[in-house]
Amino acid sequence: MDEKLITLNNLKIFAEELLKANYTLILQDKQGIRWEKISNSDELHISSKLKPTKASFKEFVFSKTEPIFYFNNKNDGVELIDSNLSAEKMVFFGSKPCDAKSINIMSKVFNWDYKDNFFNTKAENSIVIGMLCEYRDEFCFCTSVNLSPVSSDGSDLFLIPTDENNFAIRIVTEKGREFIQPFLKLFAEGNPETTDQIFKKINLPEKGFESEVIRSWIGNNFEHKYFERAGEICLGCGQCAFVCPVCHCFDIVDEECGYSCGRRMKNWDACQFSLFTLHGSGHNPRHNQTQRYRQRISHKFKYYVDKFDEILCTGCGRCSRGCPVGIDIGQIAKEVHSLAANKV
Amino acid sequence: MNELREKAKELLLNNTVKLIIGYANGNGHNRTYPFIARNAADANRLVFNEYCVNNLAVYLTRKEFKGKGIIGIVAKGCDVKAIIQLIQENQINKDEVYIIGMNCNGAVNQLDNSFEKTTLAQKCINCTVRTPALYHALIGTTKDIEEPADTLGEKIKEVEKLNADSRWDFWEAQFEKCIKCYACRQVCPLCYCEQCIVDKTVPRWIESSAHTRGNFSWNIIRAFHLSGRCIGCGECERVCPMDIPLSMLNRKMSIIAKKEFDYSAGVSLDSPTLVGTYNMKDRQDFIK
Ligand code: SF4
Ligand code: SF4
Ligand code: SF4
Ligand code: SF4
Ligand code: SF4
Repeated sequence: MDEKLITLNNLKIFAEELLKANYTLILQDKQGIRWEKISNSDELHISSKLKPTKASFKEFVFSKTEPIFYFNNKNDGVELIDSNLSAEKMVFFGSKPCDAKSINIMSKVFNWDYKDNFFNTKAENSIVIGMLCEYRDEFCFCTSVNLSPVSSDGSDLFLIPTDENNFAIRIVTEKGREFIQPFLKLFAEGNPETTDQIFKKINLPEKGFESEVIRSWIGNNFEHKYFERAGEICLGCGQCAFVCPVCHCFDIVDEECGYSCGRRMKNWDACQFSLFTLHGSGHNPRHNQTQRYRQRISHKFKYYVDKFDEILCTGCGRCSRGCPVGIDIGQIAKEVHSLAANKV
Repeated sequence: MNELREKAKELLLNNTVKLIIGYANGNGHNRTYPFIARNAADANRLVFNEYCVNNLAVYLTRKEFKGKGIIGIVAKGCDVKAIIQLIQENQINKDEVYIIGMNCNGAVNQLDNSFEKTTLAQKCINCTVRTPALYHALIGTTKDIEEPADTLGEKIKEVEKLNADSRWDFWEAQFEKCIKCYACRQVCPLCYCEQCIVDKTVPRWIESSAHTRGNFSWNIIRAFHLSGRCIGCGECERVCPMDIPLSMLNRKMSIIAKKEFDYSAGVSLDSPTLVGTYNMKDRQDFIK
């Protein structure tokens, strides 16, 4: 693996050059709420110790709301006008491994039968500069879902702080290599063995469960009363799905702009809303919150794995940190693991 | 804590209540989360402390609990305000709830904070209901707590000073962030409509898209629907993942209700609801 070195100063120059070359730089904001675009390299604040923002950067590749086409009622019929695909070149700077992996995971569902060009274009136009993570709290569980604070999976380039003012940067993908090419003068040659030593010293979140155990338990215990405990206190909001880096459900609605024109929108949707599965007839196949909560867990740890061989969770802990009633998905997975171990 | 657990056990064992909605500890951290106690063993898990920020009254109107017999609920003074409001709005039957009132010494504003003057929740500043206004049993004692200044009132005054355009800009920057997760609605004890107006699709009154226009419609309609009804528990603002200062709107509306109608929501079972009553003497001049 190719590795370079860069000083903090040069990293700022790198950011400046990227802005000049018309890249949009997207970083965790200073308030810890969401990711935001910066227009000046002075705003570059990256640290391996930052707490994951409340919302992930998903919004930039899978918009919370976007028009998919416009329509216009004319005398001789309806005119359809395509929505423009974004040409913005985005760089996610200093992404934690649990965010960096998200584009690859969502990409599977957005290219399963129908190819979603809105997502794909943005994903193709994105560069993920991941970064080793030294934040830990009781909600982190990346190591239980095949990731880790030192994983470069999903990153095109991967930053490793070597001391306060210096970084090593690993070139992970071909896309990353091409991207960094014009700026190589800012980098020195590095040695992967030195950073391997750094990796070894990083303490990892304890592995809380085996995802494979969860997958098979869910398969055999669909009606298990365990889900009732979270189900009866879950309020059925969209917080968990909307802040999640990999939840990807959407709704299609029309919006009028006047009497004879409008646009068709693609908006985030969440399986915890009762409206999500409500049929036109009034029948709702998931008629209580327990069933909806079971869906959330099952989709993440079973269905997505069955279909795409990928866990629909990066262990970032966001949904749990923000849950109004303290439902902790990592803890639930742990409890399911022990249920499975005790064969109940 | 023991007092609470003993009371809970007694109520469950002698069948006074079917279940108790209370708080239990989180997983090895300070947080507490809503917990349903159904038997003596469960009762032993109940806790009450400054991390019990949730307003559990939200559960009283839920299908899982409503009309299922007498429900016990562990409630702080602010939560009891919501219960009073729900009784007055005929959403719950006063005889179907058993309030275990908690004398309260304040709650934290962020669950990962330790409890100090500077981390006291906004709602607890100048709280007048540290002993609940209505209860069937009362647990604990109140003591003096140090309160920081009421910065919410200041923030509202600052925004009031702005001209209409700047006020618009202020709220536009806030509402732009909204992702329409509806956590504010789901956590609110007084947002109990079975079908929220934003979920109505035939016709669709409120755009479901989370663009600035749709977000304005949503946040303003919610503020209107809670006017003269919000009891100020601050739950909506606490759970908003995008940190939108929803309490500014709610507080402002309650200031108006107080000024124009001398009404505060959830204060007493004897004062009829503001929006549910018509009084010939009501002032009309604010309608322009
Ligand atoms: S954030 Fe919590 S309360 Fe809201 S739907 Fe998710 S699990 Fe339920
Ligand atoms: S389910 Fe929760 S922990 Fe897993 S990726 Fe989504 S937000 Fe993170
Ligand atoms: S508002 Fe009053 S009753 Fe409610 S938590 Fe704060 S101090 Fe306690
Ligand atoms: S609007 Fe907010 S502050 Fe008012 S009662 Fe509802 S959750 Fe509490
Ligand atoms: S909780 Fe916040 S982000 Fe979610 S719908 Fe309410 S105002 Fe919008």
